Amino acid sequence: MLEIADLRVSYAGIQALRGVSLNVEAGETVALIGPNGAGKSSLLNAVSGLVRPAGGSIALNGTDIAGSSPWRVTEAGVLQVPEGRQVFAEMTVLENLQVGQTALHGRDPTYSLADVYRVFPILDERRDQRAGSLSGGQQQMLVIGRALMGGPRLLLLDEPSLGLAPVIIEQVFAALARLKEAGLTILLVEQNAHLALTASDRAYVIEQGVIEKSGASADLARDPDVTALYLGQT
Amino acid sequence: MTGAIAGYLPLFDLYLIHLGLAFSQYIVLRAGVFSLATAALAGIGAYTAGIFAVNLGMHPILGLVAGTLTGMGAAVVLSIPLARLRGVYQAIATVAFIQIVLSLNIYSESLTGGAMGLNNIPKTVGTVTLLVFAAGATYLIWALERGRIGRAFDAIRQDEAVAASLGISITRHQTLAFALSGALAGLFGGLEAYHAYALDPNQFGFHLLITVLSYVILGGRNSVAGPLLGTALLIILPELARPLAENRMIIYGIMLIVVINYLPKGVADTFLDWWRARRLGRQGGAP
Repeated sequence: MLEIADLRVSYAGIQALRGVSLNVEAGETVALIGPNGAGKSSLLNAVSGLVRPAGGSIALNGTDIAGSSPWRVTEAGVLQVPEGRQVFAEMTVLENLQVGQTALHGRDPTYSLADVYRVFPILDERRDQRAGSLSGGQQQMLVIGRALMGGPRLLLLDEPSLGLAPVIIEQVFAALARLKEAGLTILLVEQNAHLALTASDRAYVIEQGVIEKSGASADLARDPDVTALYLGQT
Repeated sequence: MTGAIAGYLPLFDLYLIHLGLAFSQYIVLRAGVFSLATAALAGIGAYTAGIFAVNLGMHPILGLVAGTLTGMGAAVVLSIPLARLRGVYQAIATVAFIQIVLSLNIYSESLTGGAMGLNNIPKTVGTVTLLVFAAGATYLIWALERGRIGRAFDAIRQDEAVAASLGISITRHQTLAFALSGALAGLFGGLEAYHAYALDPNQFGFHLLITVLSYVILGGRNSVAGPLLGTALLIILPELARPLAENRMIIYGIMLIVVINYLPKGVADTFLDWWRARRLGRQGGAP
């Protein structure tokens, strides 16, 4: 579904991605793990069109979308859930979800409002409340729900566990597992490697803008280099 | 009794015209553009309408259409360089735009009457016409902000990057906001021309910029009630006592400082927020 080849991104001459290649097949959950500043968010931003790549290709179902506007990328069904729970604080929960529909651009929705409420029942309870007054976990659910309203074929998730309590993280990842079961393709960026390897089919390890390792998540979780560096085991 | 009402009619007319200008300012702020060009766009519309009537002898309806279209056209052209700027830089650029329009106006004396202004415009617009257009503008803004476009404006204003990531085209929506702002300013400038007999170039300068901005800041920037209330308060309050009216700009300044510090959302929006919170509280959905 998504095929990235030799992708390069730089900011004012500093290279954040130095020729990254990865692919995501339909129905898969693929994780991208690595330390802070390795280029994980740069990769997502390049796919979603927020950052213009300096080189390489990003193909979605065979069509090159590298350098397309975010508008075109969402039209093709690629929806990003940005890092840091960026809800529209002044809007209500329902209004946030309705804004998400913009990304449909006339396509048929894949998730109705009722579907999103079924995935995250708390959003239904709080629908008339200002999004800014929600807890961190609820805000994370809201930004995922908002992306679902845009009819994603491929969901790009940027650090969904960041700053959340363990019990809330469990709820969020349980919901993601249900979405995956229902057939959604997910590219997941996470610093929490243990979590990412548990939730994904395959994973890539990125360091300083280069893919260092890749493989089935279960194998990577047993790889001595990975366990030493990212899973805190020696 | 009727005499007392008739005495306040000019003030009511002023309210209706300035309400249209307040909406012109409101709509760009709502879409996250810090443009202060309304005064100049109103000047462009007013002079176009005036010239259509005085120099070309056209029907006022044609003059109003021409004023609306030139205001809108100027705003769309202005939106191209402004799309590259953000925040306070947009404000500075639009203040410069006001000065440019003012200077051009004074230099093209053969067309605009220069510093002497444009005189002998036939008065064809009265309270009823103003009321119809003001009601129309209020309805337009009300309908717009409840729909998809209004929500897209809110999303852009609150977080441009997230809005873009959701597939909202920033340029397209901000150009639309500019076009609407220019059309409203051009239309109500034209109405002013046909209501006032004469136009003076300085009428559309820095003074009008501050006045119109004050209406929106004082009333509120997030609902149609903001400009409705802000314009009313700032037009009526100085009239309550003569010494206040003579120092109108001082009053505006003091009120702005008080409101920005104690009611940063403006009078109308603060009230609406309080009312919504109360209603939610009653339903038992307290935060």
